[in-house]
Amino acid sequence: MWRRSLNEVVRVRGALLPTTVAPIIFLLGTAGQFSRLSDLHGFPTTSYLAWILPLSCMQGAGFAGGAAGANLARDIEQGWFDRLLTSPAPRPLLLAGPALAAMTRALVPTTVILAVGLALGTGLPGGVPGLLALYLAGVWFCLIASLWGSTLAMRARSQQVGPLIQNGVFLAVFLSTAYTPLPLLQGWLATFAKYNPVTYVLLMARQATVAGIPPSWSHTWPGLVALTGMTAVFGALALRQLRLINR
Amino acid sequence: MSTDALDRDAGVQARVVAALAARALRSQFRRAQFLLPSFVLPLLLLAVVASGTSSARRLPGFPSTGAYVGFVVAGTLLQGALLAGLTAGIALAADIEGGFFDRLLTAPVQRVSIVLGRVSGSIVLGVVQASLFLAVAFLFGARYQGGVPGIALAIAIAALAAGGMAGLASAIALRTGSLSLLQNLFPIVFVFLFTAPAFFPRAFLGGALRHVTVFNPLTYVVEGIRGALHDAPALGNPWRGILAAVGLLAATTALSVLAMRGRLRTR
Repeated sequence: MWRRSLNEVVRVRGALLPTTVAPIIFLLGTAGQFSRLSDLHGFPTTSYLAWILPLSCMQGAGFAGGAAGANLARDIEQGWFDRLLTSPAPRPLLLAGPALAAMTRALVPTTVILAVGLALGTGLPGGVPGLLALYLAGVWFCLIASLWGSTLAMRARSQQVGPLIQNGVFLAVFLSTAYTPLPLLQGWLATFAKYNPVTYVLLMARQATVAGIPPSWSHTWPGLVALTGMTAVFGALALRQLRLINR
Repeated sequence: MSTDALDRDAGVQARVVAALAARALRSQFRRAQFLLPSFVLPLLLLAVVASGTSSARRLPGFPSTGAYVGFVVAGTLLQGALLAGLTAGIALAADIEGGFFDRLLTAPVQRVSIVLGRVSGSIVLGVVQASLFLAVAFLFGARYQGGVPGIALAIAIAALAAGGMAGLASAIALRTGSLSLLQNLFPIVFVFLFTAPAFFPRAFLGGALRHVTVFNPLTYVVEGIRGALHDAPALGNPWRGILAAVGLLAATTALSVLAMRGRLRTR
């Protein structure tokens, strides 16, 4: 299942483009539009590009996970998934294969976006530990997006659920400390971001590029807890939907 | 009346354009895949940007427009116009792939009416979108010092820009006939958006981007909208915005008519 899902990336020309190009466009556009925000007192870096880079990596990884859900919706609609259900393989493996492929695939946009940022002058003040935190956050977030997408795909059984999957990922990422740190947020978004687990995943990822968020356990454990919690919730929802799909 | 006479009758062609525009609008409101990008996504981005970057008002020299959402909403109108245009192109590509376009070609209508119908529908959609976005922003604290004339002018600029983008997307649809290509152009919309001072004043944009905005006609569109809404020439010249939107509309409509002729020649 893992290999089949990865085959699509190799065989379909441009399969990696949407999950790579869109985040790069957002990276460059957002960094260009809002670059002066890093002049604000309390901003943990003087480079807005450094602030937004981990967000774009997460976005790319999240879209890769969402794409796994959209592909599952296609397989269900075209009847391929019904054939898989008749196989003797344990049911959870039918989700695990595409999820693992998405996580492998997520390494590409994360690396490409990172390379673009480095080429534009963003440093890696977090060094190797920061880089590991960024990749772990991205790949794990991809898994969660894949579980979310798979749940919706099995519920809707239609490819029309694709935009809903991707918009869910978009909202989760952007209703957080996407543009500014928590102390600089105002209004309803400040409250929402405080309780959005993705805020803490972003904090973990930003250890790589943001000088004011050095790699440390205090910047890492909230992200790990958030990722574990989201995996438990969306994993349970996906498994429940898998049990229901044959009814 | 003969087929040629029908072809030449301006009244008939105007009714054809209106009918095709109405059809385009109906399909826009019936399908979630069009409603979502045209209405929901711009409002989501407005909410995210208005809340997420509102601390920008503390930056020295940031223009005062009252509530920050009042400044940002011009970018939302521009985004709505871009997405309205793209969905028009997607719908046309779907008509081409689905065969409805071929049925239209057998009807005694001027070929240019098919393009004008699509563009007109997008202009009307642009009016609906812009009105909705301004109303929502008003509910969240935006105030428009330009009053009713300023609001009307801003809506007009946004609607004409929507027509302009519909012309461009229609040209691509007619040239390629590919629905999947049009759908994959979605990220490119954000290139147009981000290379204009959509959410931040031009003077506050990053170095290279500030130079690029000069060449993007949408820069003058969004600044014109902002200037009209807040009756503030320092924010933008509404008449330059109208000129840019009309120029875009004329150029892209001509492009789509050429693409239509090219398509018919190769059939």
